[in-house]
Amino acid sequence: MSDEELMSQVRSGVGELLGVLFERYQVPLFNFYLKLTGNRAASEDLVQEVFFRILKYRQTYRTDTPFRAWMYQIARNARVDHLRRQRPETSWEPEMSPATVPADKAQEAQETALLHRALRRMPEDKREVLVLSRFQDLKYEEIARLLGCEVGTVKTRVHRALAELREIYNQLQSGKALGRSNVEGAGAWPGPGSLQ
Amino acid sequence: MKCEEIEELLADYLRGNLNSERAVLVEEHIAQCRRCGQEVELWNKLALLPVEQPSPSLRTRFQAMLESYQEGRWENADLALERKKFAGLGELVGWMRTPSLSAAWACVLLVAAFLSGRYVDRGADTNAQQLAALREELRSTRQLMALSLLQQQSASERLQGVSFTTRLPEPDPQVLDALLHTLRFDNSVDVRLAALDALSRYGERPEVSRGLVESLEGQQSPLVQVALIDVLVELRDSSAVAPLKRLQQAPNLDPTVRKHADWGIQRLS
Repeated sequence: MSDEELMSQVRSGVGELLGVLFERYQVPLFNFYLKLTGNRAASEDLVQEVFFRILKYRQTYRTDTPFRAWMYQIARNARVDHLRRQRPETSWEPEMSPATVPADKAQEAQETALLHRALRRMPEDKREVLVLSRFQDLKYEEIARLLGCEVGTVKTRVHRALAELREIYNQLQSGKALGRSNVEGAGAWPGPGSLQ
Repeated sequence: MKCEEIEELLADYLRGNLNSERAVLVEEHIAQCRRCGQEVELWNKLALLPVEQPSPSLRTRFQAMLESYQEGRWENADLALERKKFAGLGELVGWMRTPSLSAAWACVLLVAAFLSGRYVDRGADTNAQQLAALREELRSTRQLMALSLLQQQSASERLQGVSFTTRLPEPDPQVLDALLHTLRFDNSVDVRLAALDALSRYGERPEVSRGLVESLEGQQSPLVQVALIDVLVELRDSSAVAPLKRLQQAPNLDPTVRKHADWGIQRLS
């Protein structure tokens, strides 16, 4: 059954079918939030919030709208509300480093860590457009609708985000080459004392 | 073709949206232009980032929510209240994710379920007192969790412990003590830095500022030393001058730290 059919059923009161949508989207949504926030607990809370809102606002779903677009709209709103409530000092937590990478793939692990760090240093809006296009498998048209802009603008923004990622990545890499890896290693804690 | 002209095409190229003729155009460009070439490379590299799995508790929470909806509780209950209940449950589950603490987890969930169960039973008549009791329960649980996590073997668990303490509205002396101990003796630089970060919020408390000054001695990592000096300067704690001078005299001191200590002494005296 398609997402849209499922959601129509949910709208007309067959709540348990939301379970199917949950199984389809809990992992993509979780990864969307994890890449934006770097925080597992907050990401899970946000996924839960999305499904809560889907149920709460089920009547506003229009059958001719693609479910995914509607869901990501809710997801983005939930994130904005979450940011508003959040105290700034808890915004980055130390758990986003890729602890799951096997140790024997040292080279790959290093690359991944570097990518993680580079992504984290990007401004939120650029990171979002990159996450949406690279990891959420949304078409540029869908992203354009989501962000309320032209398709061409999305493409330009993807390119600029990528250019910025490249800049940061190169900076981090050359910093490492100069033997500053220790300092960079503490990048997750941009406390008052980082040596930069 | 210039980079600006390729911008939109490149985005389509990345997603495989181009026909072969236009794809060749892009490929010709990236063969010559190192910057654009590197961007394509980075885009491909992003595939290295693994797809992460949420914890099983997410499904449990979802199912609890769905059940409450299907039992019709959403129709007559205050929806905002229902949502808070799930959020509360979720927070608990999140905090207790550590396997080594699963026994404590089970107990706590039981208490929470019991309390929230009572809360639901009484329906709309329930007064704020019970809610306050539940909150208090939650607070002491968090405290307990933070303390136990700070003593775990793995650095990431201890880091988690430190980050729990930052969610406590008012950490009690025991928690602050544990954080100070972590700052002095934890063997991971990351954990020590995190503890310092958490403690710096409570710097106006005399026992904390005293502890911070004392911890200056014995710190080996330049990163922690520099961060600590920053915090002490920010707190304008002049009692730090003497230990800073001692630090300055220490043999084999990192030159950056020495410079920073100099600066700190100037600011504080």
